[in-house]
Amino acid sequence: MNRQRIMALVNMQLKKIIREPAYLFLMLLFPAALTFVFGLAFGTFETGVPGMSQFDMMAPGLFAYACIFIIMIVAQSFTDDRENGLLKRINITPTTSAEFMGSHIISNTILSIIQVAIVTICSLLIGFRPEGGIGGFLLAFIFIVLLSVCSVGFGLITASISKSSGTATGLSFLFILPQMFFGTFIPLTDTTRLIAAVLPSYYATDALSLVFTGTPLIDLAIWIDLLILLAMSAAIIILGILIFKKYGKI
Amino acid sequence: MEIKVKDQIKSKAPEDILDPNSDYAIIIQNLVKKFDDITAVNDLNLQIKTGELFSLLGPNGAGKTTTINILSGLLKPTKGTVFVGGYDVKKELNHIKEMIGVCPQEAAIYKFLTGKENLDLFGSLQGMPKREIKERSEYLLKLVDFEDASKRKVKGYSGGMLRKLNMLIALIHDPEIAFLDEPTVGMDPRARRNVWEFIASLKNQKKTVILTTHYMEEAEALSDRVGIIDYGELIALGTPKELMQKYEVKNLEEVFLKITGRRILEGI
Repeated sequence: MNRQRIMALVNMQLKKIIREPAYLFLMLLFPAALTFVFGLAFGTFETGVPGMSQFDMMAPGLFAYACIFIIMIVAQSFTDDRENGLLKRINITPTTSAEFMGSHIISNTILSIIQVAIVTICSLLIGFRPEGGIGGFLLAFIFIVLLSVCSVGFGLITASISKSSGTATGLSFLFILPQMFFGTFIPLTDTTRLIAAVLPSYYATDALSLVFTGTPLIDLAIWIDLLILLAMSAAIIILGILIFKKYGKI
Repeated sequence: MEIKVKDQIKSKAPEDILDPNSDYAIIIQNLVKKFDDITAVNDLNLQIKTGELFSLLGPNGAGKTTTINILSGLLKPTKGTVFVGGYDVKKELNHIKEMIGVCPQEAAIYKFLTGKENLDLFGSLQGMPKREIKERSEYLLKLVDFEDASKRKVKGYSGGMLRKLNMLIALIHDPEIAFLDEPTVGMDPRARRNVWEFIASLKNQKKTVILTTHYMEEAEALSDRVGIIDYGELIALGTPKELMQKYEVKNLEEVFLKITGRRILEGI
């Protein structure tokens, strides 16, 4: 693994987000807008739990929600680069697949950190007061990083089965929608809980909800969520890389 | 050092193909490439000397780009043996990647980056130290009068500027072997001349250049030798002068016409 190559790719990928208006909106402005919209809409709704509004219950899901859209960014980015011959060009250099995939994981993790910061600031401005302290935020950060790794993996799978960036946008919803509806802030029924059990965002949201509602950080439920998400992120990213190498023609 | 020498000896083409001590940059023997039922390259045999400027001529779809893609490791041969810089493309691609530069037919450039940023990126991907990237890109940009344009984002570049940058990216790491696939397509005559001068300067630096083109005058002006390829087969090989003398014609376009009964541009 060559550090210089990885950092050059990370640098390029971050510039793409900053300089392309569509990506900039989706990655940075969308989470902020979403948090404000939900905050204003549900900030005064009572939940029956003293001192907790509907928005307080939804906020952990919003962290995961923003992160899920990394799937679309990764899928679009790969298909765009493939269409423009850039994957071929990179493949001609001594850059290895591990360095290239590693750069995507790093740049999207950086992105998810920025997203978490944006959602946190916006939520706090609206009145969200999470429990858990600094330790809680650090743990939440680990969950979000793992979820972003899952999103990179799903993005790679989407790019592998998509022939164009337009198709990639549509197909990415195969992975976005289930996680959005069954793995973030929408209350689950017995049936949807079964679907949620295979979705990474469910475990991230569940753990974040526990952390932000003041559950002690040593609670076993949080660590079980972490373990499952860790296993899922490893499996999905490996699967994504393997599928992309086999079917994601450069 | 001992391992390196041993490795090189092991990597050289076997004796039945060529003497390991000979100075060939490219050795292609009985190369076949098929895409399902279509044979894109059919039993191609070719040796290109180190420091030679070799042009592969032929109409679009003749198999030029497929050959370049095999030489640069992007495609696997269906049959045959290919050595680039003494290394086997099937087994030692990592060594080959360090010594080649490929200018693809379609400009493959990040449009949200500036020209300079693209050069920096691909220099880094080639593993060049930062200082070396800076020096080399300054040298290249000055050479083709591209310094001011390189500070702007690629999004606003004209077709000719894209092609120029496309070629500079391929040469940022000063490769020993350069594959230039139709580098002047769509350029105006002045820009084309400018690029010709640049390609000629590579030859002066003893670089091996493999140029694919369907512009006959380009091949005539630049090449030490040309190979004419049609329907995946090499139909003529020699210096431009030799070929014109052999077929008793005035230019390479007429050589192609005499062999195939068609004009190269008809195939486009």
